[in-house]
Amino acid sequence: MSAREEILGKIGSHDAVKHPGAFQGASSDFDFKASLEVVGARVVSPEELEVLFPGRRRYDKTMDGLSLADVEVLEIDGEFGVAENGAIWLTEEAMPHRVAPFICQHLVINVSEIVPTMHAAYERLGGVNSGFGLFLAGPSKTADIEQSLVIGAHGARSLTVVIRS
Amino acid sequence: MRVALFVPCYIDQFYPQVAVASLELLEKLGCEVVVPKDQTCCGQPMANSGFSSSTAGCDTNFSNNFEGFDYIVGPSGSCVLHLKEHHPSEKIRNSVYEICEFLTDVLNFSSLNASFPHRVGLHQSCHGQRGLRLSSMSERNEKPFSKLQDLLSLVDGVEVVLPARVDECCGFGGTFCVTEEAVSVKMGQDRIKEHNANEVEYIVGADTSCLMQLEGILRRQGSKVQVKHIVEILNHA
Amino acid sequence: MLSHAEASEKFIADAERTDWHDETLWFVRAKRDKASKVLPEWEALREHASQIKDHTLANLGSYLQAFEAKAQANGIKVHWAKDAAEHNAIVHGIIAAQGSQLLVKSKSMLTEECHLNDYLAKNGIEVVDTDLGERIVQFRKEAPSHIVLPAIHLKKEDVGETFYQHLGTPKGNKDPQFLTEAARQHLRGHFLASEVAITGVNFAVAETGEFVVCTNEGNADMGAHLAKVHIACMGIEKIIPKRADLAVFLRLLARSATGQLITTYSSHFHKPREGQEMHIVLLDNGRTRQLADPKYKNSLKCIRCAACFNTCPVYRRSGGHSYHQPVAGPIGSILAPNIDKKANADLPFASTLCGSCSNVCPVKINIHEQLWFWRQDLMAAGLAPVSKFIGMKLMAFVLTHPLIYRMGGAVMRRFSRLLNTRLNPWYKQREMPIAPKASFQDWYQKR
Repeated sequence: MSAREEILGKIGSHDAVKHPGAFQGASSDFDFKASLEVVGARVVSPEELEVLFPGRRRYDKTMDGLSLADVEVLEIDGEFGVAENGAIWLTEEAMPHRVAPFICQHLVINVSEIVPTMHAAYERLGGVNSGFGLFLAGPSKTADIEQSLVIGAHGARSLTVVIRS
Repeated sequence: MRVALFVPCYIDQFYPQVAVASLELLEKLGCEVVVPKDQTCCGQPMANSGFSSSTAGCDTNFSNNFEGFDYIVGPSGSCVLHLKEHHPSEKIRNSVYEICEFLTDVLNFSSLNASFPHRVGLHQSCHGQRGLRLSSMSERNEKPFSKLQDLLSLVDGVEVVLPARVDECCGFGGTFCVTEEAVSVKMGQDRIKEHNANEVEYIVGADTSCLMQLEGILRRQGSKVQVKHIVEILNHA
Repeated sequence: MLSHAEASEKFIADAERTDWHDETLWFVRAKRDKASKVLPEWEALREHASQIKDHTLANLGSYLQAFEAKAQANGIKVHWAKDAAEHNAIVHGIIAAQGSQLLVKSKSMLTEECHLNDYLAKNGIEVVDTDLGERIVQFRKEAPSHIVLPAIHLKKEDVGETFYQHLGTPKGNKDPQFLTEAARQHLRGHFLASEVAITGVNFAVAETGEFVVCTNEGNADMGAHLAKVHIACMGIEKIIPKRADLAVFLRLLARSATGQLITTYSSHFHKPREGQEMHIVLLDNGRTRQLADPKYKNSLKCIRCAACFNTCPVYRRSGGHSYHQPVAGPIGSILAPNIDKKANADLPFASTLCGSCSNVCPVKINIHEQLWFWRQDLMAAGLAPVSKFIGMKLMAFVLTHPLIYRMGGAVMRRFSRLLNTRLNPWYKQREMPIAPKASFQDWYQKR
């Protein structure tokens, strides 16, 4: 008997315990900008962005994973932001390469659409239409050394967000 | 109202004043109190040690002593919770009350002739709080409530303060107090440190097991702080 | 191997360090409280998450098969492993086929459970743990002491010393910023060079065949997106039914774990990268046995947030290593006996049953009740020390016979001073209660 058969056999028959369905009653009074600040991201205007990162690189399909390692500042477009936690949904298609938002030293994301909560986010997403996607909330960070928060672990050291209308 | 007084074994043996105060208080509030003579123990020490299979004799003795009563009232949250959750008789499970629970939920009164002009630190015993819901717990996002504080507010002159960690466990935990002696004592010492920071004269709670633990440490420390069961304060002239 | 009580005693002997450990973890609990109080719907979310998990566990077989079918259709290779040995062999096989000797691994408690690193090392394959806390304990040849904060038992001086020895940072430098930067540079080299990446799985979605990995550091992604082969290791209980369910769990997970709104990265893996091989290993290793027992089935709802660790007054004062197996704390104490009753018989007793754990658990696992059930099962399995067995039988006898109870009580009170000896564990650091001359019943009979 294969492990698969053995495991499924041990799990046995099923039960009528119902799925509770969609969650009702989520709060909705969240502020995307405030949440971005909480997760360590900085919000700037398009003009301020030009001053901060004039030499930034943009989306380029020819960039492969390893060459992205040398990119100082990368700019990509996010699909939408989530007000409750400052997360931004990014898909594979928006990045040159899946590793892009992690491997660059500094990350810039443009976002225009905001949804209030994670429930709204998944409703907005619907089914899967990308090989890879992620919710990205702020720069990489860790508190593994005596609970001291350090911004900039293995992923990008900073996140700058431009909320475009 | 006819009430049977359940006297936890260690209160019977070591803290009889708690049962005396319970009896007197219930009588003051108009109850006819019966004290079954042959009661021994609720069985919790064995059950919590993994020997619930050995409590049959104890359970039967409890039933024999308390059958026929609609209200079995005892000054111990942990014993009452154990009975409510584990006693084999449904009638017993539905008839047993912790005393603060009984005073608040069953008896109807809005004043007490009691006075205790002292600063007291309130210890929220875990089983009473999280098990019997005598008060709200810090873990949950819920509206604060406290049957203990409501009762204490009826006592003249008493000043109630909560420690910094309002509902951390005292460390008694039944046989835990000796099988994990180091952790148990550290937990108790930490509670006391917080009460001392509030400069209380007494530590008050609804469970004598917690109070016994804290008192043991306080006396070893040579502290002036004493422990009191809440009924002793509610019954204090 | 020291029992929890023995190990805890050693831990507490350094009272100052114990206070520091306790306060550090209480601070994490406080952050969790703050985050939970912001959402009026917090308790409803917990209930909803609990019901989703109950439903999933009741239908686990069909959800696993649905997940497998979808994942395979998307090009992910699905493997099943009945136990740790089989899991390790499968993972090794995939790596060997690739011909790699060096790989990176992001945090996976499951791989700790299987002792994967040791197994691979014996087969000549070096695993580099890339979560900062895990890399630190890896250098020190220690186990992680917490499932979310692996190095919480270490002070910055300890980390500084470890990095001085292994990374050549200046001796005495204990600045977290500086040390993290050193780790970043060191591990970046490994990310760029590794061909195989192993990750854990936070959630696997049956509806879509995708799996989600949550990190703050970005290490799982830095490994997986550059590797030729990505192996994801998952316990069968990590399945959830629908994509929309992720909303509930992602709202609860980080808030419960650290008080954060969400982890920095919640990466949804649906298909392998072009040219990449993606594998997922579904592990049983006793989970089906836990599932079959109605008393313990609920323990499988766990989403590994460690809120129960942070709130547990015993864990905070004894440290994760006192639990002598990979998953410590309250949840560990109800999972471990299922894996090895004898070795872990002490763990369900490392608790006062205060119930705090059950009330911070985002999926409402009745942890403190399961601790109580395990105590019954372990004693029934004959794992009580003889002295305890005899003591309990004696207690039961005395408490069944009122006359003997009264006589015994009177004797105990009369001679209670004999218990004032260091041979009595209570008396080591506490005074015994003062024995009154009369019991309550004595007083009442005279009334």
